Amino acid sequence: MLKKRLLGVVTVLNGWAVQSFGYKRYLPLGRPEPLVENLDRWGADEILVQVIDRSRSGLGPDFALLERLARLGLSTPLIYAGGVRTVDDGVQVVQRGADRVSVDGLFQDDLGVVADLGQRLGTQAVIASLPVSTGPHGLELFDYRTRQRRPLAGDLVDALTGGIVSEAMLIDWIHEGSPNAFSEQMLDLFPVKTVALIAFGGISTPEQMASLFARPKVDAVAIGNFLTYREHAIQHFRRGVASAAVRPASYASEYSLIRDV
Amino acid sequence: MKPISIGVVDYGMGNHASVTHSLRSLGMRVRVSDQPEVLAAADALLLPGVGAFPAAMQELHARGLVNYLQDQARAQRPIIGICLGMELLASASWEIKHTVGLDLIPGEFVPFAGGAWHIGWNTLEIATQDPLLQPSDGQAFYFNHSVYFVGPEQAQAALTRHPAAFASIIRRGTVIGMQFHPEKSQQAGRQLLSNVIAGLVHA
Repeated sequence: MLKKRLLGVVTVLNGWAVQSFGYKRYLPLGRPEPLVENLDRWGADEILVQVIDRSRSGLGPDFALLERLARLGLSTPLIYAGGVRTVDDGVQVVQRGADRVSVDGLFQDDLGVVADLGQRLGTQAVIASLPVSTGPHGLELFDYRTRQRRPLAGDLVDALTGGIVSEAMLIDWIHEGSPNAFSEQMLDLFPVKTVALIAFGGISTPEQMASLFARPKVDAVAIGNFLTYREHAIQHFRRGVASAAVRPASYASEYSLIRDV
Repeated sequence: MKPISIGVVDYGMGNHASVTHSLRSLGMRVRVSDQPEVLAAADALLLPGVGAFPAAMQELHARGLVNYLQDQARAQRPIIGICLGMELLASASWEIKHTVGLDLIPGEFVPFAGGAWHIGWNTLEIATQDPLLQPSDGQAFYFNHSVYFVGPEQAQAALTRHPAAFASIIRRGTVIGMQFHPEKSQQAGRQLLSNVIAGLVHA
């Protein structure tokens, strides 16, 4: 049976991993590499590294970071987000060690490039990041570069319905970083019923995760800030969810000091 | 003992960095190249993969690697395909459009019903007594694909359910394809990759 996934998210700003709160306040955590290494060691199902200043500053993808991450020899699938503007950017991101690419600004700016990216990488490798909130007429999509909102409708919905990406990451950006605050109402209001969803933003408890996993369209839950407060946080959540829908907690180590006898 | 050397076939699209680091962490020597004279020195060839089938075949043709890989399979050289790399081993694929493959393993890849994807961790049911694969029976691996193999039963070495069973490992002689990403499947993937490569090379 295909398992539902727990994604570990590392947010990077100006080269530093940060905790992000509501897309407006950031607390530094240190270099991203050790955090990614931890998620790999803890057995996250996928790791998302999102570099949130690349699109805003027009810098393109952070290839240097990807190369440093590749040198870690990760054995967990890596999703990269940040600054992807062209098909070539996406191809280079994969060649430097990412398994999938997530697009946010590009999805809002140029659906043609997103479609071409799917033709080149396969749509299974392409995810749309959708920071959303509820508005008077349904979901509103937030453009973090301009801090403007617009209805999630029209060509964006058509593109999602048409399978331009394999999954959409629905981000409760207002509640991002707030404990137990993800608004499940957004899942009900999401206008596309055919695309699988990754829920992110304000998810901090196993009970919340279990509730989200009970929804057929939610294939994955992403956690950022709430993975940074304890060792083996992924296993803590796996144990708490306690469902056959997710992989069980495991504590494999290549570096055990004591051999099993 | 001399370390096993792997020639990672560079067709301009794969996730070379991931595969290379994974193989090196298993103690293998790795060369990434699209040059037959460089690949000739390796004990086994590996086709990695993240990408779409038509673009990948176009790149293999453009680099003159189609005939080379077919010749190597005829010479019974070990060839391992991962995800898209596995799909390329087959006769054809219907991903995006019908495209002829390397035809090293008879059969073709067709999209899941309704254009669905199979993304995430799922378990293997080993369908043969193959000692290279048996230790991985029941273990979970990371998949990310939209097409599945349709071909002779004897080529289907492992099955996975989504919800219907499909071939997650195919094998013909020294050519083996894995639909999932062993290099991104943590300890289970490292063990399988190690068993398969060592088994093929030392057979």
